[in-house]
Amino acid sequence: MTEAIKIETGQGYWAPLIFVVALLGVLILAVLIWSRGRREYKRGTEQELPFLSGEKVENPRVGALHLYWGLAEALRPLLERLRGWHSGNINEYAGWFLVILAVVVLLVLA
Amino acid sequence: MSAHAPILAIAVPLLGGFATPLLAKLHKRIRDLWVLLIVLFVGVAVGYVAVHVFTQGIWVYVLGARHPQETVVSGGFPIRIMLVVDAMGAFMGVITALMALVAFPAALKYLPEEEGKTLALTLGSLLLAGIMGMAYTGDLFNFFVFLEVTSIAACALIGFRTWTSRAPEAAFKTMLLFSVSGLLFLLAVAFLYGEYGALNLAYVSVLLRGSAVDRLALALFLGALLMKAAAAPVHFWAPDAYGEAPAVKALLLVVNTQVSLYGLWRVLFTLYGGILDTTVGWLVVAMGLLTMVVAAFMALAQTDLGRLVAYGAVSQIGYMLLGVGVGLVTMSGRPDYGLVAMKGGIFHMLNDALTVGLLFLCVAAVELVKGTRDLRELGGLGHGLPEVALFFLVASLALAGIPPLNGFASKILIYEGSFRASPILAAVAVLTSILLLAVFARAFQGAFLGPRVNVEVRVPWPILVSMGVLAVGILILGLVPGFFVEAMVTPAAKALWLGRSLYLSAVLGG
Repeated sequence: MTEAIKIETGQGYWAPLIFVVALLGVLILAVLIWSRGRREYKRGTEQELPFLSGEKVENPRVGALHLYWGLAEALRPLLERLRGWHSGNINEYAGWFLVILAVVVLLVLA
Repeated sequence: MSAHAPILAIAVPLLGGFATPLLAKLHKRIRDLWVLLIVLFVGVAVGYVAVHVFTQGIWVYVLGARHPQETVVSGGFPIRIMLVVDAMGAFMGVITALMALVAFPAALKYLPEEEGKTLALTLGSLLLAGIMGMAYTGDLFNFFVFLEVTSIAACALIGFRTWTSRAPEAAFKTMLLFSVSGLLFLLAVAFLYGEYGALNLAYVSVLLRGSAVDRLALALFLGALLMKAAAAPVHFWAPDAYGEAPAVKALLLVVNTQVSLYGLWRVLFTLYGGILDTTVGWLVVAMGLLTMVVAAFMALAQTDLGRLVAYGAVSQIGYMLLGVGVGLVTMSGRPDYGLVAMKGGIFHMLNDALTVGLLFLCVAAVELVKGTRDLRELGGLGHGLPEVALFFLVASLALAGIPPLNGFASKILIYEGSFRASPILAAVAVLTSILLLAVFARAFQGAFLGPRVNVEVRVPWPILVSMGVLAVGILILGLVPGFFVEAMVTPAAKALWLGRSLYLSAVLGG
């Protein structure tokens, strides 16, 4: 039975059900702490609006591209290079295939 | 009839696929029922074969013999077409049947009649037959034939939406690369046939001497199958293909990629297992690392939800290559951690099929409801489609390898196995998973969170049921992974890593 709920990883084991029990314990603790917090939040009032320098904004929405904007911006040179490789040009794709084939042939025959 | 289950699992979808357009002429409902019957039959046949193989060992089925077990003629020479299903082949069959059972019912509701639904179902059925053939065959030329069947059916499905500009272009690029890949595979088979006069995989494996021709054939096999498995940097066709095919059919395309990986394992472990050195293993490991990293970064750069999921799917191929690559590197010494990594790589094939399959179904639902997959235009769908949002979240977390979901169960085996080979391998794999978590959290936030939007179209219930089945599978595989690892994954890994002699003796006797 124990074999069904855990897997040996070579240096130990992974038992998801133990993890779930621990996770539930942490969640219960989190709910207990949360329940002891201040109760001034009121649904449907201005408290729900995001604070953007005191300005009221119509349809305030954080889009997908806003998330990790800094990370994407920092990686922009790398991403642009990778995007350049994915040019959509079939000649380039075939070229990559030839390069890899040549490398594989050299490695296998060496 | 049960004695013929392996060939029926291939023949029924092959012949049934061709019969589908004829039945569609009678009535659309008869066609739909027919397609469901085909898929159900394949599921039952594959299940029967799997139970037989996992409990009683390798199943050899010979076509054209007086008895299906008559493998060799006098002189010990195998001349007939042969299906050889070991634990790895059975495992691949289970993945294929599972995804077909999910994809086809969803496709019946997802595909509009006016867009050529009959054609798509026919192509899907042929793709299923090709994949099953690749998984079960024990003959190199037949493997090539089924490889071509899958290529033709897959390319037709990718370019299915001929009225769009991008789908035919994606299909053309994929077709060109698949054609080159198929020809290289055929050339490799021709080299071996010219040298040994045989096409039976087990028989050629015994005869291989490691000559220059053998090695050249190996290089051609590697080039062909790595490209078809979408390993970087020859993965370029995959995001276009996955992104442009009807989303529910992308599930079968994912399995099509996986069966190419299976073909690669079969060539490396069974065909060349007797003469292989560690160079090829390190090559597979290197391409695995490159695949996971490049695809994860490219996923970060996407604004189309379908292409983002497609790059996520490609990155998972890298984990499979890494896990099994470590097994290849350590095959001569056979330390325990090599088998652990192998188990992780093979287990990840099943987990990947479920998670990526669920993500593609979520993409299909979003596209059906909003008519777009552009993350810049999407948002707030979680209010109107809470069940789709939940399914997307579960699949995203599983793909990123967050415990206790199934992706973590296979990834931890890959991490630990590869760590023992080199800590750098495990570090790259873990960091890539973190990047994937960021990418999919962004996709979830972009598509499902935010202010409420109107949702006027409902997601058809068969698609929701298919999603639910995959989500439950993700949870079960995540919570009780040990059962599946012991019952299916370990025998499959051992069939490759330790079972070459068993495979050869099952075919050739002695």
